[in-house]
Amino acid sequence: MSEERHSQQTQAGDEFEREPVPQNRLLGFKSFIGMYAGEHCAGTELMIGPLFVAAGVSAFDLVVGLIAGNVLAVLSWMFLCAPIATRARLTLYYQLEKICGRQLVTLYNLANGVMFCFLAGAMVTVSATALGVWFKFPMPELSDLYPNSVGWVIAVLACGAMISVVAAYGYEIVSKVANIAAPWMVLVFIAFGLVGLKQFIDATGSEVHNLTDVWTLAKTHIWQGGAPHPGRVKFTLWHVMFFAWFCNMAMHIGMSDLSVLRFAKKSWYAVASGTGMFLGHFLAWLAAAILYAFQMHAEPGNTKVLPGPLAYQAAGLTGLICVIIAGWTTANPTIYRAGLAFQAVVPRSSRFRVTLITGAIATVAAMFPALAMRLLDFVALYGLVLMPMGAVVFVDFWLIPKLGLRGSYAEFSGRHFNWAAFAAWIVTLAVCLAIVFIVGNWTLYFVALPGWFIASVVYIVLSRFYQKQVHPAAAL
Amino acid sequence: MRSILIIVSLVSLVALILPSILFLAGRMDLDKAKWIMLLATIIWFVTATGWMWKEPGKTQKDEAVIP
Repeated sequence: MSEERHSQQTQAGDEFEREPVPQNRLLGFKSFIGMYAGEHCAGTELMIGPLFVAAGVSAFDLVVGLIAGNVLAVLSWMFLCAPIATRARLTLYYQLEKICGRQLVTLYNLANGVMFCFLAGAMVTVSATALGVWFKFPMPELSDLYPNSVGWVIAVLACGAMISVVAAYGYEIVSKVANIAAPWMVLVFIAFGLVGLKQFIDATGSEVHNLTDVWTLAKTHIWQGGAPHPGRVKFTLWHVMFFAWFCNMAMHIGMSDLSVLRFAKKSWYAVASGTGMFLGHFLAWLAAAILYAFQMHAEPGNTKVLPGPLAYQAAGLTGLICVIIAGWTTANPTIYRAGLAFQAVVPRSSRFRVTLITGAIATVAAMFPALAMRLLDFVALYGLVLMPMGAVVFVDFWLIPKLGLRGSYAEFSGRHFNWAAFAAWIVTLAVCLAIVFIVGNWTLYFVALPGWFIASVVYIVLSRFYQKQVHPAAAL
Repeated sequence: MRSILIIVSLVSLVALILPSILFLAGRMDLDKAKWIMLLATIIWFVTATGWMWKEPGKTQKDEAVIP
């Protein structure tokens, strides 16, 4: 059995769900490179790049912000998530169950499932924009909140129904297609950027002989900065950096990738996440941003962020296939995951039915363009919602024992609901969302940073009270 | 057979990216580049399927989070 194959099987989570991964099942560095590279080249990358342009970002802020943010994301995987993963070698679920108790983990799954559901909705939206190129129905504007045509609704229904049914039957075939498409998709993303760059050169009559000329073109024509589109937060270097850092917050700081990195022989293998960051969250975002900037240059009044037409203009049918596959192969497992999360809440329901219902919810969400057109906000919110539990895991693993308290207290006490962890989660969310509503929407991209410290402090303080008051069941 | 499929599929990836590079260099028009990219795409999916299909698919890493 090849190492990669073994990697893929073990990542399925069908092994060692409630025990540490043994030494003889650990994986080499190469396994993680492929996994992270494929994971972060998704359909939503084609939305995020253009939305940066719509936010009025400048070339320097975009490029430097993305480099800094992606480096911080990789460091978060390396120094927050991986050290715990390679010491405990447990899934996030089991780690959380030991700390928080089974009932609180179920609640966490519900939140996770809702977030997955809406994320899948955005991916369905991306795929549906490809159908618009063929069938020529009116597609949503950047500022649209509601479905704007019958054709759009039918296209989303068709995409969503197909994805949901496949997900309900199990998505082994789709996951194989995703594997095959991954290297092809990365190259198509790069081709988008090269074609867009040439179109800019021709349209502006620029003379480009070296990288300095490319940079000048980028500054003066592609990402000029300036005012954002109406209703958008103006993106500076800080916004870009924090967005790039926190867009996968659920995975690194939120500790979701404990389940993956528990198989790593060494914690530094988490540096492999850099492949995903710099292929998907740098090259792909820049390429998609170039396409949208060119659309704005060619037709200043056309502010629509529609991956289908953008990709078709640059790469023809190959571009459309890329949009459909990118949206489909990422929406499918996301709906499946959301279904699993909901099934955990209602264990007696059939996985088939739950996944279909989940897909239906994602499809209805996808009809509302607000979800995809506000994807930057949603992704920031997604990380924020799941982050506090990552802080709880971090504190429980490293700090709680050093403070004279007991780690994994739910397991120790035999309780199913750790109120200290729950309060850390809810108080953090309440404070962070209050800041966003009171201070302004722009804080949504930053508030998770103080939020992590709030969650940590609240968990430590409340654990002191909780562990004094709640004793092991057998001791009562 | 497997080796041939791997080689052809890798060549198709080169054929996929090359037209966009030539277009950037002003050596190819966009329509021709699009057709070559489509051809390379078809060859990639046909040949890569031949040697990658039997490998297990990319699995959902978060599944392990779910009880």
